[in-house]
Amino acid sequence: MFKSNNVTARIFQRQICTPAPGTSIYSARRFYENIVPSCTIYDVECPDQSFRKFTEDGLYLISFSRNHQELIVYRPRWLSFSCKEEDCDTHGLPLKAKKFEGFFTQLYTVTLASSGELICKDFFLYSETYQFGLFATSTAQIHDAPAVGGAVQGVPSVEKITFHLLRLEDGAVLDERVFCNDYVNLAHSMGVFLYDDLLAIVSLRYQRIHILQVRESGNLVDVQTIGEFCHEDDELFLYSNVQSMMNPDKSKLHEGPVNHVANGLHRNQPVGETPFLTGIKQRLLSFIFQGIWNEETDPSLRMQCLKKKFYFHFQDYVDLIIWKVQFLDRHHLLIKFGSVDGGVSRNADNQPAFFAVYNMETTEIVAFYQNSTDELYLLFELFCDHFHVSGKSSLHMNFISTHSNNIHALEQLRSNKNKACSFSQFVKKMLSSLPFSCQSQSPSPYFDQSLFRYDEKLISATDRHRQSTDHPIKFISRRQPNILKFKIKTGPEAGNTDSGTKKISSFIFHPFLPLALSIQQTLFLQPAVVNIHFRR
Amino acid sequence: MNSSSGAGGMATSSSAGIKIVGAGGGGGGGAGGSGGGGRSWPSTTSVSASGKRIQREMTELNMDPPPDCSAGPKGDNLYHWVATLIGPHGTPYHGGIFFLDITFPGDYPFKPPKVVFKTRIYHCNVDSTGNVSLDILKDSWSPALTISKVLIALVSIFTNPDTYKPLVPGIAHLYSTDRAKHDELAAEWTMRFAR
Repeated sequence: MFKSNNVTARIFQRQICTPAPGTSIYSARRFYENIVPSCTIYDVECPDQSFRKFTEDGLYLISFSRNHQELIVYRPRWLSFSCKEEDCDTHGLPLKAKKFEGFFTQLYTVTLASSGELICKDFFLYSETYQFGLFATSTAQIHDAPAVGGAVQGVPSVEKITFHLLRLEDGAVLDERVFCNDYVNLAHSMGVFLYDDLLAIVSLRYQRIHILQVRESGNLVDVQTIGEFCHEDDELFLYSNVQSMMNPDKSKLHEGPVNHVANGLHRNQPVGETPFLTGIKQRLLSFIFQGIWNEETDPSLRMQCLKKKFYFHFQDYVDLIIWKVQFLDRHHLLIKFGSVDGGVSRNADNQPAFFAVYNMETTEIVAFYQNSTDELYLLFELFCDHFHVSGKSSLHMNFISTHSNNIHALEQLRSNKNKACSFSQFVKKMLSSLPFSCQSQSPSPYFDQSLFRYDEKLISATDRHRQSTDHPIKFISRRQPNILKFKIKTGPEAGNTDSGTKKISSFIFHPFLPLALSIQQTLFLQPAVVNIHFRR
Repeated sequence: MNSSSGAGGMATSSSAGIKIVGAGGGGGGGAGGSGGGGRSWPSTTSVSASGKRIQREMTELNMDPPPDCSAGPKGDNLYHWVATLIGPHGTPYHGGIFFLDITFPGDYPFKPPKVVFKTRIYHCNVDSTGNVSLDILKDSWSPALTISKVLIALVSIFTNPDTYKPLVPGIAHLYSTDRAKHDELAAEWTMRFAR
C-alpha cells in the first residue's frame, strides 16, 4: 500500500487510501518499519532477577527473584523526561534512562515458593481472558524413584509440584493445584498447555492428561483425566457396577460377606495396576487394528498384514508413553507418544515417536501418524497455523510468522528442505517441534518476517536461550534488502573482555511496543548484563 | 516369517523367545513341511516340538482365518500371542475391539494355552483380572485342538455365554433373569472400555 518509506508520507497516504479489505492490520503493521527499537541502553542498572517475559497484552513484565522464591511483576512505562533547551534531540538521555526503574514500575512482589519448593523460572502461562497468570513451584527431582502405584519405570519423580493461579492485577493467589510424587515437564512449559480457559497438564509419571478449567472466579476446576479412563465418569461407572454386581439381588443387600471378585476391578486394587490396557491405549490399539483390518479385504492377506504390522509391534505400542500434548481446538488434543527414554531426555529428535489426534468428547482417536510420515509433514507444511493455536482471545498471536502464512518463512523452509540430505530425517526434525509448546512464541512485530529479515540462529520469535555473539544482530528491511533498520546488541557496549567464556543470551520483546530487553549471562553465577532496546 | 522388514517401520523389540532361524519368506514351509512324514525330529534345529506345532498352526490360521478375529505372535516370541476379537453384530459387544493375551506353555499342545482379556468386558465368563473360563481351555482341552479352534470358541462366548459355569455369578444371574438389563450394561461397558 505504501509507496514511500517516509513515515509522514505514509501517514498522509493512510488518510486518503483505504487498504484492501481485510488487510488494514497488515498495512498498519508496516509502520513498524519506521518505528524500531534502535536505541540501546547498555548494562542498565537493574535488580538482579530472572526476567521471564511480557504478557501477551503487554501489561505486565514477569520476573522471579534470584533465590527462586518470589514473583516480581512490573508494569512497562515509557521513558519520559522534559527538556528546557531548544535543541532537544541532540541532548543526551537523562540519568534515569540508565536505570531499569526508568522504564518499569514494580507493581508487587509475591512469595510463591514455600517449604523446600522453588519457582520454576522456565514456567509461566498467561490467561489473557481473565488476566490470570499460572506459575509453578516444585521440590527437587528424584531421578531413580521407584515405580510404585502404576508409575512408569524410568520417569523421575518430584515430591511436590504446585501450580499457582494468580490475578496479575494485584498478585492475589486465587487457587493452587498440587501434584505429589509426580512428574510434569515444566521446562519451557512443555508439560502444560493452556487454550482459552482449558488447561491440559501431562503427568509423565502416571501417564495422565489432566484437563482443568480456569474459571472466571479464579478457580481451577477438574474437567476430566485422560489415561486409565477416557470418559470422566468411567471410574465411577466401574465402581458402581462392581457394587451392584456384588449384590445382584437388591433384597440381599445386607447379607454377609460378598464376593469381591466382581468383574472389572478389585476395590482395594491401586489404580494403574490392573491387568488391562489403559483407556487411551485401548483406543489407540483399536484404531491401529481397525485401520489395518479395513485396508485389506482378503482374509488371508489381512492376517499376514496384521501379523507383520500389528502383532509384531504390539508390545512396542503398549510400551509407548505420552510425551507431550497440545490442544488443537476445544475438543481435540494432539498427543505425542514415544519411548520412556525419549520422554525424559532433552533431545529426542531421532527417537521413534507417534502422533495421535484424540477427541475428548467422543473419546476417539481421529488420526495416528509416525514421526516420519510424509502425510503429517505435508499437513504441517500447509496448515502450520492450525497447530499454532492460541485461543480466540489473543489478537497479536494471529500475526506470528509461520511457513504457512508467510512467503519468506516458506522459502526458508523450502531451502532447508532442499539442503537436507535425507527427506525422512528432515521430516522427523520438522515434526519434532510438534506438539507446540504453549505460548512459546513472541508476538512482537519485529519478528514478523514480512517486515524484517534477521538471522534465526541468533534470534527468533521462539522463546529460547541462545549462545551469545559479540556482533550485533541485524534486523534488515524485508522490502528493501539493503537497508538495515536496527541492531540488537547483547552484553556490554565495549564488548566482552573475556571472550573465552561462553555466554548465553535471551531476548524479551514487548508484544507491540518498540521495547525489548536483552539479557546476557555467563555460565557462572555473575549478574546478567541487561540492555534495554527502545525507540528514542 | 518373523522378518522385521516391511513392518510398520518401528524399531523391533527383541523380547525373549525362540528365534526362528532361517525360517525363510515362504509361509512357514520350513517348519511345517515335513510334519506329516515319518521322520524323527531333526536335532540340529533350535525349534522345539511345541514351537513347530505353533508354527504350523500359525500357517493354518493365516490360510483360513475364522471370522471376526485374528491373532499373531507378539514380537519374535512364538509362545506369546495377541488375539483380537471383534464384537459381533447383534450382540451387546458390537462396536468393541477386544485384545487378549495368549500364552502357550512349553509343552504345548499337551497343555492348553492361557488366555487373558486385556480389554475390560462385562461377561459372566471373564473375571476381574481378565481370566477367561472356557471348558476347552481347561478340562476339555485336547492336543487335537488348535489356535483357530480356540479363537472360534472365544468368539462364541459373545453370542452364547456359559451361564452354568460362570466366573462372575452376578452377571450370569442377571443374564438369566433380566436379559435386557444385562445387554444394556454389557453394551455400555463395550462403549466405554472396548472401543
